Amino acid sequence: MQVIEVKNLKKAFGDNPVLDGVDLSVNKSEVVVIMGPSGSGKSTFLRCLTYLEEPNAGIIRIGPHELHTGGKLDRKRKKEIRELRKKTGFVFQSFNLFPNKTAIENVMEGPLTIYGVTPNEAKELAESLLVKVGLGDRCDHYPSQLSGGQQQRVAIARALSLNPTVMLYDEPTSALDPELVREVLQVIKDLAEEGMTMVIVTHEMNFAREVADRVIFMDGGVIVEQGDPKELFDNPKEERTKRFLTMAE
Amino acid sequence: MIESLEGSEVVDVTIIIDSLPSLLKATIMTLFLSCISVLIALVIGFSTALIRILKIKVVYEIASIYISVIRGTPLLVQIFVIYYGLPQIGISLDPISSGVMALSLNAGAYLSESFRASILAVDRGQMEAAISMGMTYGQAMRRIILPQSLRIAIPTLSNSFIVLVKDTSLVSVITVTELLQMSSLIIAKTFEPLTIYLTAAAIYWILITFFTTLFDKFEKRSSKHLVR
Ligand SMILES: Nc1ncnc2c1ncn2[C@@H]1O[C@H](COP(=O)(O)OP(=O)(O)OP(=O)(O)O)[C@@H](O)[C@H]1O
Ligand SMILES: [Mg+2]
Repeated sequence: MQVIEVKNLKKAFGDNPVLDGVDLSVNKSEVVVIMGPSGSGKSTFLRCLTYLEEPNAGIIRIGPHELHTGGKLDRKRKKEIRELRKKTGFVFQSFNLFPNKTAIENVMEGPLTIYGVTPNEAKELAESLLVKVGLGDRCDHYPSQLSGGQQQRVAIARALSLNPTVMLYDEPTSALDPELVREVLQVIKDLAEEGMTMVIVTHEMNFAREVADRVIFMDGGVIVEQGDPKELFDNPKEERTKRFLTMAE
Repeated sequence: MIESLEGSEVVDVTIIIDSLPSLLKATIMTLFLSCISVLIALVIGFSTALIRILKIKVVYEIASIYISVIRGTPLLVQIFVIYYGLPQIGISLDPISSGVMALSLNAGAYLSESFRASILAVDRGQMEAAISMGMTYGQAMRRIILPQSLRIAIPTLSNSFIVLVKDTSLVSVITVTELLQMSSLIIAKTFEPLTIYLTAAAIYWILITFFTTLFDKFEKRSSKHLVR
């Protein structure tokens, strides 16, 4: 069963075409890693999936929520976009935790505001999620009192708090000191083992080899090549992929 | 010269004590003007800031012109226009109302700018994180953006309030008996300008120091999440 279906996604900023017709289907529990040079449109693609950027053309379906571009941004459409976002956990490169809220308050915020659960229920859920990402003892810390790796794990817990169908990560470890990368990747790996459907933009090749079911190489706003990580890394078919991989190593 | 120094001291303590009750009563008027005006100004400033950030049609233009006009003209002129000018088109306000109106319109324009700047100063990622969870724009504003921008705004809000307290002295020109006007009235009877004006200055200074300390405490408390 396909959980994500994207057809002919196009996006331009002004007259700068950034996505030039991207198609993607992701199966349930599949882990897809997207790689590609800087400026190739990876972030824009992820952001379009939850309408943080409005695409110019294409169809996006996540779970039962399908959005076509070009609709008038009225009340009904805004609601459809919100429904899609609730089911799509998004993890940012720069964490974007709420700095005036403690770790547990960050994780409680979604369930409280979006699902209107009681504070006690939200607290219980948030606590269990923080335990899950290994931060059960940091519930009452403010983001400024946490390391980058801890902050990103709180951010993952926050994204999980709405019980999403898929998780999207935009370079989740790029802002971290090298020694903190592992703890974040480990959390993502655990989620993969639980069967979470995930799309991850990252430059971590070893991680991709280990965890990804499929690696996608993007360049110039299109998918140049995709396949099993082993195959794509060891036997790239396209010239552009080869060049990127030799540069990356 | 020497004679006059012998005859009376430059600063006469008994005059201060005698005039203190009247001065303190006038101080209450100063405080009243400041507090009422700042409350109205907060409402004006906050709503015009939102109007300008949301770029709501038509009112956006009105808000921008209001802010530009207020910031581009002296407060004293604004007071005169409201107190002496408006009666010509049939709007007669008593001195206190005129004063409150001028002060709040004036402070509102400055507060609008600080609110707007402080909302825009919140990192863009905060709004994105909020709406990516499925919050509406309004929920994200209320729950995530505004609490953070308020903290950013505290120092400028505090500064605006202090300017407002001092600016209340300007409405003495339209016969509102606040601290400065009362001082002048007392001087007309006692002929002791130095003593009385210095006493008035001391009262202003105490008031403002009090409020500054209060705002500093408030700022520290609201920033506790930033300390490591
Ligand atoms: N909000 C925006 N306005 C204008 N241009 C943008 C905007 N966001 C991205 N772009 C442009 O779109 C192109 C693709 O950007 P994008 O961030 O998607 O690339 P990326 O593959 O994520 O790169 P990186 O690896 O550096 O993160 C770039 O040329 C960028 O300048
Ligand atoms: Mg990017």
